[in-house]
Amino acid sequence: MSREEEILEKIKESFGDDVKNITIKRSRRMFAETDAKHLKEFLRYARHELEFDHLSAITGEDLGDEIELIYHIAYQNAIELSIKIKVPKEDPRIATIVDLYPSAGIYEREVHDLLGVVFDGNPDLSPLLLPDNWPKGVYPLRKDVSLEEIREILEKGGEKG
Amino acid sequence: MSGSTIKVIIGPQHPALKEPERFILETEGEYVVDVKVRIGYIHRGIEKAMENRTYLQGLYLSERVCGICSDAHTTCYVQGVEELLGVEPPPRSRFIRVVVAELERIHSHLLWLGIAAHEIGFDTLFMYVWRDREVVMDLLEIVSGNRVNYATNTIGGVRRDLNGERIQKILKGLKVLEDRTKEYLRMIEREQTVLKRTVDVGILSRSDAIKYGAVGPTVRASGVKRDVRADDPYAAYDEIPFNVIVEDGCDCLARIMVRGREVLESIQIIREALKRMPEGEIRVRVKPRIPPAEALSRVEAPRGELLYFIRSNGTDNPERCKIRTPTLANIPSLCKMLVGGYIADVPIVLAGIDPCFACMDRVLVIDREKGEAKVWTLDMLRRYGREWYRKR
Repeated sequence: MSREEEILEKIKESFGDDVKNITIKRSRRMFAETDAKHLKEFLRYARHELEFDHLSAITGEDLGDEIELIYHIAYQNAIELSIKIKVPKEDPRIATIVDLYPSAGIYEREVHDLLGVVFDGNPDLSPLLLPDNWPKGVYPLRKDVSLEEIREILEKGGEKG
Repeated sequence: MSGSTIKVIIGPQHPALKEPERFILETEGEYVVDVKVRIGYIHRGIEKAMENRTYLQGLYLSERVCGICSDAHTTCYVQGVEELLGVEPPPRSRFIRVVVAELERIHSHLLWLGIAAHEIGFDTLFMYVWRDREVVMDLLEIVSGNRVNYATNTIGGVRRDLNGERIQKILKGLKVLEDRTKEYLRMIEREQTVLKRTVDVGILSRSDAIKYGAVGPTVRASGVKRDVRADDPYAAYDEIPFNVIVEDGCDCLARIMVRGREVLESIQIIREALKRMPEGEIRVRVKPRIPPAEALSRVEAPRGELLYFIRSNGTDNPERCKIRTPTLANIPSLCKMLVGGYIADVPIVLAGIDPCFACMDRVLVIDREKGEAKVWTLDMLRRYGREWYRKR
């Protein structure tokens, strides 16, 4: 059994139906899905029991009614596991994981800036990438924000313009 | 502590390089007690732009994410797109990718060594290193036609082959680079000008390096053996034997030594790649539309792990293209290194993670009690650092 299959079996055993669609796409690439309720528990298990000690990145994507968050974690810098969750776009909210991965702080700030997801418990969600005078409530990476709209905001020089 | 701390604001203008950042240092006497970071001053929205362009146009955008490690970005990007397509680039093209990637690493590490020397006031070393760096810049030009933005990669392979004459020129240039780099490493290990400013400066312990998610030479200088080329091989790295360079000094000197030794290792990798490179095609033709799928691609850029996550949706534009650059990954570790250190060490510690950083435009010193503000240039901070060490 490959290391990837061992990890897959362990996750299945510990989480049952709470972690779905665990797939090994190719060697060293795994994907899985869970929900906002079980994310933290899963990451705690992955961090401490499975030794996924490196958080590579957090990807956010606007799916229309929901925002998908993908946490890319690495085992021994080799196996990348991407665990996906969805949060409602009306109130995109999820608990921070800085207590598990301190490096998550800056990635959560990035997603907060660009997609408006609130990470409860993150000590610093101040703007990281967008200008200080960027209008509130406009999240440029959301699909309903067009390039024209972004261009217009930039030409006006932001909110105070 | 708030009564006695002073805020020192560094940045955000670093006009010479890609990533202007602002660091707000909370200082007490000569010590840094807290750091806050603000980036994004040249955030260009490339991820958004990619969603609105074809895969081929995205290739040219990815080339322009970074001016120093442009080849790492296109390699990471095309690997992701090739995985989405289910296309295998021809073997010869994978070796050419290795050659260009390692030439780029040499140029990036030498550029960094020059900057590091400048930050500690050792401008003689800076001048020598940058003179020798021209050798590798010429090699890159011979290989690709360009000194920067090599435009080597394309979806399905590479755009330019390596012929016998070019290979001979590369081998000749590598010998010069090898001799010079060995000379610098021999000198740096003994030179007090370097040692006094880098030993035990900007400490990042082994456990902190892992905890704060450090990548690249930064994590390897803290004794952690992590290198995407070895751990998650791509291109032709699984067919070329090489060593992962690790130092356990955990300080700025270790970061210099790791990069210096990596230059020598890169030279060996290129020699091996040229020796083992098979004959054959250098690219395959691909179709422009990609059915829904997702791929996660990683490469070891000169600064560390670079990650692209690409999702396709059946059209010729990607649905999402997420980019995570190594400098962002190293920011939390950088904050850890700065806290507890001297203000005078800030320039070299900042430079230590190689944050695509050449010059901080101005420094604003604010006395919170009196509300006084002084504007410093980076030169003033650098001079302050050198003077402060001289008096000590």
